[in-house]
Amino acid sequence: MNGSQNAEPQIVAEDLVKRFGSFVAVDHVSFRVGRGEILGFLGPNGAGKSTIIRILCGLLRPSAGRALVAGIDVARDPERVRERIGYMSQKFSLYRDLNVEENLKFFGGIYRVPRAELAERMRFAIDMAGLGGREHALVSNLAGGWQQRLALGCAVLHRPPILFLDEPTSGVEPASRRRFWDLIHALAADGVSILVSTHYMDEAEYCHRAALINRGRLIAIGSPEELKSTALGGDLLLLECDALGATLAVLQQAPGVIDCSVFGDSLHVLVDNAERSLRELPDYLAQKNLPPTRLARIHPSFEDVFVQLIAVDSAERRAAA
Amino acid sequence: MKWHRLKAIAVKEVLQIWRDPRSLMIALLLPFTQMFLLGYGVNLDLKHLPVCTFDREGSQLSQALFKHFQASQYFTIARNVTSYAELTAAIDDATCGFAIVVPPDFSERLNDTGSALVQAILDASDDNTANLALGYATAVVTGYSANVQLHWLDRQGRPLQQIEPMVVQSRVWFNEDLESRNFIIPGLVAVIMALVGAQLTSLTIAREWERGTMELLVSTPVKPVELMFGKLAPYLVLGWLDAAFCLAIAALWFAVPFRGTLFTLFFTTTLFLMVVLSIGYLLSVLIRSQVGASQVALVVTMLPTVLLSGYVFPIDQMPTVVQDITYLLYSRYYVTILKAVFLKGSGIPELMTPILFLVVYAAAVMVLAARSFRKRLD
Amino acid sequence: MFERIIAIIIKEFIELKRDKSARFRLIVPTVLQMLLFGYAATYEVYHVSTAILDLDHTQESRELLSHFTASNRFDVIEMAHSQGDIAAAIDDSDAVVALVIHAGFAELLRKGQSAPLQVIVDGTNSNTALIALGYINTIAADFAKGYATDLAQRISGAAGARRVQVVVEQRPWFNPDLNGRWFFVPGLIGTLTLVIVVNLTAFAIVREREVGTLEQIMVSPIRPVEFILGKTVPYFVIGLFQVALIVAVGTLWFQVPFAGNPLMLVLGSVLFLFSTLALGLLISTLCSTQQQAFSLNFFILNPFFILSGFSFPISSMPQVLQWLTYVNPLRYYLVVIRGTFLKGVGLSVLWPELAAMAVIAAILLATSVLRFRKSLE
Repeated sequence: MNGSQNAEPQIVAEDLVKRFGSFVAVDHVSFRVGRGEILGFLGPNGAGKSTIIRILCGLLRPSAGRALVAGIDVARDPERVRERIGYMSQKFSLYRDLNVEENLKFFGGIYRVPRAELAERMRFAIDMAGLGGREHALVSNLAGGWQQRLALGCAVLHRPPILFLDEPTSGVEPASRRRFWDLIHALAADGVSILVSTHYMDEAEYCHRAALINRGRLIAIGSPEELKSTALGGDLLLLECDALGATLAVLQQAPGVIDCSVFGDSLHVLVDNAERSLRELPDYLAQKNLPPTRLARIHPSFEDVFVQLIAVDSAERRAAA
Repeated sequence: MKWHRLKAIAVKEVLQIWRDPRSLMIALLLPFTQMFLLGYGVNLDLKHLPVCTFDREGSQLSQALFKHFQASQYFTIARNVTSYAELTAAIDDATCGFAIVVPPDFSERLNDTGSALVQAILDASDDNTANLALGYATAVVTGYSANVQLHWLDRQGRPLQQIEPMVVQSRVWFNEDLESRNFIIPGLVAVIMALVGAQLTSLTIAREWERGTMELLVSTPVKPVELMFGKLAPYLVLGWLDAAFCLAIAALWFAVPFRGTLFTLFFTTTLFLMVVLSIGYLLSVLIRSQVGASQVALVVTMLPTVLLSGYVFPIDQMPTVVQDITYLLYSRYYVTILKAVFLKGSGIPELMTPILFLVVYAAAVMVLAARSFRKRLD
Repeated sequence: MFERIIAIIIKEFIELKRDKSARFRLIVPTVLQMLLFGYAATYEVYHVSTAILDLDHTQESRELLSHFTASNRFDVIEMAHSQGDIAAAIDDSDAVVALVIHAGFAELLRKGQSAPLQVIVDGTNSNTALIALGYINTIAADFAKGYATDLAQRISGAAGARRVQVVVEQRPWFNPDLNGRWFFVPGLIGTLTLVIVVNLTAFAIVREREVGTLEQIMVSPIRPVEFILGKTVPYFVIGLFQVALIVAVGTLWFQVPFAGNPLMLVLGSVLFLFSTLALGLLISTLCSTQQQAFSLNFFILNPFFILSGFSFPISSMPQVLQWLTYVNPLRYYLVVIRGTFLKGVGLSVLWPELAAMAVIAAILLATSVLRFRKSLE
């Protein structure tokens, strides 16, 4: 990112708030997305990810705060914004009773892709989606992955500098998901700013930066490495033992242990210092007659990070209430 | 307003219509079949009304009276009853809607006083039929009475002279045969076109919201006006087709006299279609669920059109309040227009008033629809 | 089996309850329509707009015309001065009827010759025209009789042409005043209920099909019959409610008398509702989208209205159409309604209609269940 133009963030959210009646769906959210950057929105269902995206697209009006997309105030001038963005909504929303080509032509017409360019852009979209040879297939006959890629193709026909993708990989099988992220990266490399939301925690890995949204609040934002290393606020150990429940209870009181939770049939233990705890914990537990069968340091996954962050956030809310 | 966007929407709409052949069939075939079917059914003319006769005298005179009834095309003698109980039962179970009772002293009274009564008992639960039946029955009896009078005069050796001091000479204009069909069928066309129009567009926007495609569309630069015209255009074409079918059937098959010009017909029909389609569209914009839109459409378009548009129940006989309300009913104007164009041969100048109403209506509804369309989810 | 049916019924009611506008839509439009249509639907001719042209200007002509102006059935909108005026009045639809008395009218009368009253009628609405002509004939006959009697009295004895005449004494049963509302208002019970119930039922099922929840439900242990029962019961209840509402408006507001047995009406309504529910069901099996159901509704309901005896007498229809009316439940329901309201007849008279509705309902129901099962495969 060099040059004053490129340094200008493409998406800016300042203290965004959205209320539906007394329910606060978006609670003072602020962030920026630069040119060619992929920002991932992660968080549980109902956290407010879609709401934020819809505000940025001009589909909802913010109750407070400001949203700037491509430098334009979305609340004031949503129409101008719409020329510069591409959108994939959460519910699949292409026309099922039209075929691939007809859908592309339709959006080409809507976005006024010039005739000369349209053929080429359509070619690009079809290739990107892997739908070569199936231009006349009815969309309703396509499998999930192809539909998603086609929807992406329709969204970028007019080369928008900014893309909003709301859970584009939901219900798509893993191989297709990876392929989809490859496409997103290709677009970002071309300079497109992309805001993607997903509820697959591991997909945060694919983003330049990830933001965690919980109950309307942005509780963490940073690059994947940052999040994994600092967000936890500690080191993570894996502990296997016989009596999970009892061990869990004991560990909560153990020295140097910040938190402890069950993961499958083992425990993840968050400690201040990995080396110290690796030394001390086995004895501590043995004294309580709960010797562990295995104890090792692990690298936190995003799931770990987020579960922890959300737990902390929930605790803080309870304390504040 | 940008042409390319409007065109894109229209093309998409056409493709979708084409890909839903069932709806297309319904939209094109049903109005057609309706005209055939209902053209024969819409009939207020009285024919072959079943009549019961109760002859309490049983004389030559009474039998002659009943022969008059039998001869009339309006009546068919269904049963001769022999008691009041039987008569009551016959009327109760609708064996007949009308009964003629000749009193036992009929001939006597006629000879003595010169005047005798026959009773006409009517099932007045259908007051209209009863009214008409009474009118025709009176005519039959009057004819019979004149016959009696002549015979009597003949026997007296008196010259046959005109007894009636005054005679009503009536001439009927525009619907000389007083065929109810002639005036109801143009109205029927109007009703069917109103239904066609409403059902074509009432769900169009709601459908897209429910399927999710509208959310995407709304995030694009498309303007509400473009969306509206783009969507209405294909349905206007369908509407023309339907109108052409129905009007042709009315004029050619049912031989409703057509005295106007094709141009007037085309012009007014196009105008009406625009009103009807945009009303359906407005409903679809305001009500985002298909169920809701359908219910409102039925209440706002179908029932009022069938009952209040003047196609069968004359508006000028309704209470003033209701008459005022019908000014809001767009189908009323088209019913008036069609009847006038067919039977009276009226042209655009004579129809200025209803035409202006339709123009204002169309403009108002379209403006309202374009403005009500919110490109937002909340 | 019952629990599953109840589960669906409860779900339907909850959805209805949540939909606030649904409540509104089920009450207000019905009442409004009753009020509107109850007043609008009539063939009665309360007033005939009339234009008068008197070219005779004699006492007799004025007296004849005064019979018309005095009558409240005739609305004299113009005293014309020429034939042209008259023609214009009828052409412009200002007047439905024009009465013309030519010069020499009184003279003909005094000479004992027949004097014509010329009547021009706009036949565009033949029904109104016929009825108007009927009124005119009555008034004219009155005048003629009065004049003749007068004349006879003055010439008493001389020629004294004895008049022999047969006169009709009319006895309207069930509706002594020939009140037009009494015919149509009860009929509205059938038409309004038909529209609402068929529409709601058809949509209820098609919507699930279109949205995709139908698949979900069918995967569960529920059987098609249970599903159908569960779906239709709530609309049966709504239908009964509509009937009650309309009967209330009809009797309380329009004061249509109810001469019969309420139980008969209930029985008839129940059977009618079964048929309408079955009809809505059948429609739902024919459509895969709500749009199709909607369009089909419009085009099925219109013939049902027209071929039912609601506004056009069945006896006047061609044979083929009369046969068609035999499969229309509305036809039978109208007989039941009008029978119980106005005629006060009971089971002994109405059993054929009840049986017919039951048969139709059974056939429609069976057909729809079979079709429904097939559509799931």
